[in-house]
Amino acid sequence: MPVQLAMASTEREINIYKNIRCLVCQGQSLNDSNSDFAVDLKRVIKKKIINKESDKEIYKYLTERYGDWILFNPPLKINTLLLWALPFLFVLMGGFLIYQKYLFLDKKHQN
Amino acid sequence: MKKQFKISLLVFVTVIFFVIFYYSLKANNKNNPNIMLNKPLPAIELTSLINTNLKQELPLINRDKYYLINIWSSWCVPCREEHPILMKLKDKIKIYGINYKDKKTNATAFLNKLGNPFYFTGSDKDGSVSIEIGAYGIPETYVVNSQGLIIFKHVGPLNKKIYLRISEIIK
Repeated sequence: MPVQLAMASTEREINIYKNIRCLVCQGQSLNDSNSDFAVDLKRVIKKKIINKESDKEIYKYLTERYGDWILFNPPLKINTLLLWALPFLFVLMGGFLIYQKYLFLDKKHQN
Repeated sequence: MKKQFKISLLVFVTVIFFVIFYYSLKANNKNNPNIMLNKPLPAIELTSLINTNLKQELPLINRDKYYLINIWSSWCVPCREEHPILMKLKDKIKIYGINYKDKKTNATAFLNKLGNPFYFTGSDKDGSVSIEIGAYGIPETYVVNSQGLIIFKHVGPLNKKIYLRISEIIK
């Protein structure tokens, strides 16, 4: 039976669509797009959900074909390590600088 | 001295980040057609556009040294632009067409008018075959080798430069 996109999308489907980048309209999620390829991709995902495939299997299918680029939430890998680690590094660096400044002021105050 | 070192370090780190961000912004993040390069073509079954009883399974292993897959549609203007190049390529390589979300009458009228470069044309009525092989849009062209590996992929209409490149690959 052909999968009809007109069938209401479940919460699980919408969550997946929101994490998938539209192939033709940059910056939009699949959920926000009605382009031809977005409609096709939604149908493919819906079919996979009906076939009881897990979210992990669906993401694997998509990244095998389109790379991590297709995900809005890139996985933690060697090449995305900087992306994930940088905010924490900045917080640590900031904290260290504030701490140093505090020590300096404290010493000055003591003197 | 210590202060000077700190300032130099800060400037150095800022410059490094600026350079990284500058090049990241300039990089082509639009899409990455190379993802499927040198990977096996996912198994697909094409149903003939002309006769729905005729099927063609791809990839073909150890049949032809190379073959070409082209996703096209009669309503797609860039497909019309690249059509003369496909007509030139058809004498050099077998071309399997994937007719994307098209009407049979429009697709056959297109081929009757401009010539049929395809060895076999399959219909992709719901676009699922194109998604299966990792297409971003139409037109799109793939060169597959006898082992079923995608050795070249081009997103967008073929042009003279790409024609020469394909000719070089399949030589």
